[in-house]
Amino acid sequence: MRPTTESGLAVRAHHLSRRFGDFTAVDSLDLDVEAGEIFGFLGANGAGKTTAIRMLCGLLAPSAGEAWVDGLPISTHGEAVKRRIGYMSQRFGLYDDLRVGENLEFYGGIYGLDSAAIKARRGELLERLDLSQALDRPTGSLPLGYKQRLALGVALLHRPPILFLDEPTGGVDPVARRAFWDLIYEVAAEGTTVFVTTHYMDEAEYCGRVSIMVAGRIQALGTPASLKAEHGARDMQDLFLKVVGT
Amino acid sequence: MGPLARLVQKEFRQIFRDPLMVRLIFLMPIIQLFVLGHAVSLDLKGVRVSVLDPVPGPLSRRLSQAVWETETFTPGPPVATPSQAEDLLVQGRTDLVLHFPVDLERRMRQGNGVLGINLDGRNSAQAGQALAQVQAVLNLEAARLASGWKGQAPRPGGVTLQPLYLYNPELVSRYQMVPAITILLITIISAMLTGMSVVREKELGTLEQLLVSPLTSRQLVLGKTIPLAILSFGELAVATLAAILVFRLPLEGSVLLLSGAVFLYLLVTLGGGLLASTVSSTQQQAIFTVWFFLVFSILLSGFFFPVANMPQALRWLTWMNPMRFIIEIVRGIYLKGSGPADLALPLGMLAAHGVGVFSLALWRFRKRVA
Ligand SMILES: Nc1ncnc2c1ncn2[C@@H]1O[C@H](COP(=O)(O)OP(=O)(O)OP(=O)(O)O)[C@@H](O)[C@H]1O
Ligand SMILES: [Mg+2]
Repeated sequence: MRPTTESGLAVRAHHLSRRFGDFTAVDSLDLDVEAGEIFGFLGANGAGKTTAIRMLCGLLAPSAGEAWVDGLPISTHGEAVKRRIGYMSQRFGLYDDLRVGENLEFYGGIYGLDSAAIKARRGELLERLDLSQALDRPTGSLPLGYKQRLALGVALLHRPPILFLDEPTGGVDPVARRAFWDLIYEVAAEGTTVFVTTHYMDEAEYCGRVSIMVAGRIQALGTPASLKAEHGARDMQDLFLKVVGT
Repeated sequence: MGPLARLVQKEFRQIFRDPLMVRLIFLMPIIQLFVLGHAVSLDLKGVRVSVLDPVPGPLSRRLSQAVWETETFTPGPPVATPSQAEDLLVQGRTDLVLHFPVDLERRMRQGNGVLGINLDGRNSAQAGQALAQVQAVLNLEAARLASGWKGQAPRPGGVTLQPLYLYNPELVSRYQMVPAITILLITIISAMLTGMSVVREKELGTLEQLLVSPLTSRQLVLGKTIPLAILSFGELAVATLAAILVFRLPLEGSVLLLSGAVFLYLLVTLGGGLLASTVSSTQQQAIFTVWFFLVFSILLSGFFFPVANMPQALRWLTWMNPMRFIIEIVRGIYLKGSGPADLALPLGMLAAHGVGVFSLALWRFRKRVA
């Protein structure tokens, strides 16, 4: 079963906004992400990245505007959208007091996989994430880099065509980050759209396209190369500082 | 295994893996019962009995002798007037005062000898036991006396005691306390733990992971409440067995009715726990919210003070308190053997509260989750 998208666009936002009281966290966001892209959703702390992703995942209702995920409007097809996305939240979303295998079993179960399917998929994912030895370990005892890989595994359990990763590599060493991005490349190569936020500019370089968000609005959008040229920036770090600083 | 069963399985795994939780669930009832058990099953010995006998005669002398001769009772200081009886009780110089009427013999021959009895109601369990034992002794002795009388034999129950509790007459007896404690245990387990377990997932960020899955809000609500409902029934079973075996409380009524009523009550507590979780973002807030309502519920439930003794305004308030009705029901089932017909009103009120609170919780969850 290959992830597929009916329309060419995996994610589409149109004037998508979210206000908290009289504070506007996401301000009329317009965005098109092609199926199969690795899209880097960049921005400073508090720019509104998590808020935007939560709206796209149906966790938060927009104040205005509309968004489509895999061609489906989120306002009316929330349930169908949920089956087509994998979400790795900024906060580690697994149960520390369950074993690694139990976490996979549980999340597989709530996505409607039967016991046999869970077993097969679990073995396959653990193999791929290099976590086979950890099956019976308490999740809380894993190093952070492994936890993040496990969380990615959970997000991939039901083979979603679109993955939302909110700062998936926060706080781990460069080796672990490299290993994680190898996995991102693998799933993208299979056709999965990856929508990822990060504060590491070397990671931004790995993305097909990036957007840079400032105070709820997208200030720059394009491939890393074209954006660097456009702003006369040496590298992504320089570009980010130029866009966010102005 | 469907999604709901997986949720339930996961909850049980987490509960039984948490040593604090296990202790809370299994030790709490044992400790409560032990503390109460100590207070309830105290053996009576050396209870001082004084006699107020305006016209001493052979009959009253024989009856008082019979009481004093038992192991439980010893003679207390003599009493001359009712006010002196009260003074001695208040000062703690005697435990129990028997008031003999002037015309005891005539009354007994008519089959309705009545003795007044004053006792210290502060320890109502002891008071109740003492009362029962005095009554037993008097009955025996009255029957012996009657067999000596020619002519009209006194009817059974020829001597009855009319208790005139002196201290804290409004205090709920310990026998009424035990069934109510059962309810308290269930309330804490179900409301507190439901609220905490949902908010804990909020704190950890796992709730978002559940909300982004295709789980429906109903599956989520049931997945959170079914495990605690099962634990609550376990708690009910333990507490009921303890009430019968340790406290020698006769369970007069039907276990089935008891379970049904507890089910209705669980709709209230589980729903209440869920509601608390929707207004709380930390476990402390959830605990505080539940605790806040719990304290008012207990005070207005007849747990300590009978509803009938409350001021009118508070009595009206108790109609909004589901705990009042479940306590009324369990006491009725335990102590009076009440059936569904006797308990129609409290059962109806409880069902209304249960359906109302649980629906509200479901609705709040759906709104929040969407
Ligand atoms: N539920 C909320 N209520 C009020 N304000 C909120 C809420 N959620 C987010 N905000 C505010 O919206 C703004 C954007 O927050 P958001 O978490 O989307 O930023 P972010 O780009 O993900 O930042 P970071 O890089 O730190 O994760 C912040 O100022 C935040 O305080
Ligand atoms: Mg964020």
